[in-house]
Amino acid sequence: MRYPLIITNAAQMHIKYKLILPLVFLLSGIMLYPFIFSLWLSLQDYRLTRINDVQFVGFENFGFIATDQSFLNAMGNTISFVASAVIFELILGLSLALLIQKLVIFKGLVRSILLAPMFITPIAVGLMFRFLLNSEIGIIPFYLLRVGVSLDWFGPELALFSIVLIDVWQWTPFMLLMFLAGLEALPKTPFEAARVDGAGRWLTFFSITLPMLRPVIVVALIIRALDAFKVFEYVFAITRGGPGNSTETIMYYIYQTGFRFFRMGEAAAASILLIIFILVFVILIVNLSRPKVIK
Amino acid sequence: MKKLKLSTAIAAIAWATISTSQVVHAGEINIIMEEVPDYDIVAKLTDQFTEQNPGITVNFDAMPFDAMRDKIMTSSLAPSATYDVIIIDNPWTDEFARAGFLEPLDSLISSQDGYAYDDFVPALADISKVDGSIYGVPYYNYALGLIVRQDIFDSKGLAIPKSIEDYMSVVKSLTTDGMYGAAMQPQKGYKIMEEWKNWLYANGGELFDDAGNVIINNQAAIDALNQYIETHSQAAPPNSANWGFDEALRSVSSGKAATMLSYNWMLPALNAKGGMSGDLAGNFTLHEVPGGKSVLGLWSWGITANSDNKDDAWTFISWISSPEVAKQRAIMGGAPVRNSVMNSSEVWEKGYGKAYYTALADILDGSAPLSSGNNAEELIEIVGTELSAAVTGQKSVKEALDAAANGVERAIK
Repeated sequence: MRYPLIITNAAQMHIKYKLILPLVFLLSGIMLYPFIFSLWLSLQDYRLTRINDVQFVGFENFGFIATDQSFLNAMGNTISFVASAVIFELILGLSLALLIQKLVIFKGLVRSILLAPMFITPIAVGLMFRFLLNSEIGIIPFYLLRVGVSLDWFGPELALFSIVLIDVWQWTPFMLLMFLAGLEALPKTPFEAARVDGAGRWLTFFSITLPMLRPVIVVALIIRALDAFKVFEYVFAITRGGPGNSTETIMYYIYQTGFRFFRMGEAAAASILLIIFILVFVILIVNLSRPKVIK
Repeated sequence: MKKLKLSTAIAAIAWATISTSQVVHAGEINIIMEEVPDYDIVAKLTDQFTEQNPGITVNFDAMPFDAMRDKIMTSSLAPSATYDVIIIDNPWTDEFARAGFLEPLDSLISSQDGYAYDDFVPALADISKVDGSIYGVPYYNYALGLIVRQDIFDSKGLAIPKSIEDYMSVVKSLTTDGMYGAAMQPQKGYKIMEEWKNWLYANGGELFDDAGNVIINNQAAIDALNQYIETHSQAAPPNSANWGFDEALRSVSSGKAATMLSYNWMLPALNAKGGMSGDLAGNFTLHEVPGGKSVLGLWSWGITANSDNKDDAWTFISWISSPEVAKQRAIMGGAPVRNSVMNSSEVWEKGYGKAYYTALADILDGSAPLSSGNNAEELIEIVGTELSAAVTGQKSVKEALDAAANGVERAIK
C-alpha cells in the first residue's frame, strides 16, 4: 500500500532551508568572506610591504579615493567607455540580428562566423589590436596611410575610442546572440495583424518589435554594462592607461593601486565605492526600463 | 568497497604529502628569472654549475617582467619561500629590503674567497645597498646610451652631440621627409620616465635634493620637459605619443630614425649580421647620452629571507657572479657588470669589440639609478604618467610637474 506524501507547512519550511544550506555555505566562503575582508581592509592602512604595520584609519581611504583626481578621471573614463561601447553594441547587435533573422540560406554559417570574436580571450584581443593598430608596425595604419589617412589610434584623442572599438568588435556578437534569440521567440500574430492593417516596416519595428523586445534589451544592456565596467585587459595590453591618464579605467586604477603600489586598503576602498556605484546604476536602469502602466 | 575508498584516500593524501615535501629540500633551489636573452645565457652556463655541484639542483622559473613582482611578493609573504634566489630590478631593492623580503649578503660576500666584490662597477653595486647592508649582487646592467646611425652622421659631417642642446639641434637637422632625427619613447609610466630622466640629468636636475626634498618641479625639470616635448614634436616620428621600446627600436632598425636613447646592449643586436637591421647592420655606434650622465638600470641577484636553502642559493649566486663566470657570460653576450670583464682583451676579442665595452664603461662611470628609495616603483609610475600627460598636451608642463611632485611626496611617505 502506498501512502500519500503529506508534508506540513512547517516541514516544508524546514526542508527548504536545509536545501539551500549548501549554497549558503558556498556563497559565504567565496563571496561573503572576501567581501567582509575587503570592508575591513578598506578601513586600514594595509600595504603588502608593511604587513606587520597595519593601522586602522577609519574612513580615511574613502576620503582620499573620493577626492583623488586619478580615481575621478578613471571613473569618468569608465563611464564614457561603458556608455559608448554598450550603445554601439546595442545598435550594431540589433541591426545584425534583424538582418540575420531574414536570411534564408547560410544562416547558421553567418551566425557562427559573427559569434567567433566572443570566444577569444580579451587579453589576446588586446594584444592583437595593439599590433594591428600600431603606428609603426600595424597593418591598419599602413593601409590608411596609403590612402592619405594618418591616425594615431593610441594617441590622446583616439586612444579611448580605439578601446571602445575593440570592445565593440569583441562583444557585439553577444548582443547579436541575445537579440536573435529574442526575435525568434516573438509571437508571429502581432506582426501578421500589423501587415494586414497596412503598417510599414519602420512602424512595425518601432511599435511592435522594439516594445516586445524590451525585456531582452534590458537584460542584454545590464549584462553588457556590468561586464564593460570590468574592462581591464585591453587597457593592460595596449595603453596601460595612457597617454597620460586618458585610458585609465577604474579596474586598471584598482589593479595599479593594489598590485603595483601594494596599497591594499586604498584599492579595497576604491572597489567598495565602485560596487556602490554599480548597484545604484543597476537599480536605476531596472526602474527606468519598466514599462509605464497607464491607469 | 568502503575499505577501497579509504585506502585510496590515504594513498592520495600520502602522495600529496610526499609531492609537497619534494618542493623544498636541501640541495634544490628555485630561481625566478625574466625571460630575456640574458636568462638564456645563465641557463646555459648553469650546466657547468650542476657539473661542479652535483648535490644542488637548480630550477628556473622564467616569465615575462609583468608577472615577476607579484610572484616574488607572494613567495616572500609565505612562511616558506617558493623562490630561494630572485633577481631584483633596481626600483624594487629598497622596498623589498625594508619589507624584510631579502637576506643581507654582507657576511657571505666577505667570507667568499676570490669573489672580488670591489670589481663590480661601483655605481651598480651601490644600488643594492640599503641602510648600510648589501641585499644583492649585480646580475646585468641596462644603462642607457645614445645609439646613432654612424653612416648618416659621417655623411653629413655631424659630430656626436655632447650636450642636450647639441642633440636637439642635430636631431632636428636630421629630420627630413621619411627620416626622423630621434625615435623617442614617451609611453606613459616607466618608459618616458627612463628616457626623460636623461634630459633631467643633462639640465642638472634630480628627483630629490641632498636633504631629501622633492625637486621634480624646479626650473631644471621644467626646462628638461620643455626640451623633451620640443624634440618630440620636431624630430620624432608622427603618431608616436604612445611609443615604447619596441616601436622605437623598430623605427631605428628599419632606417626611419637616426638616433635613439636606449639600452647599451641593443648595439650588438642592431649590428648583428642577418639580424633585425638587415643591410643597416654595422652602421650603429654607442655613445654616452648627451649631458654625460645616464640613467642606470640594474638587475641583481638576491636571496629571499624566508628561503630554506640559503647556503645553496649563495653557492649558486657566488658562482654565477664570480669573475670567471662573469667573463664567460659577457663573451656569450651577457651585459657586463664587472670592471675586469669590460677591460678584458679576451672579452673584447670574443665579445662585441673594444669600442662597445669602452663606451659602456664611460656610460656606467657617470650614471645614476632611475630611482631608488622606498616605493620607487610607485614614484616612477606617478611621474611617468604626468610626463606623458604633458607631452600629449593634456596638461601644461608646470601643471604636470607640480602634480608629479605632489604624487611623489605622498608615495614616499
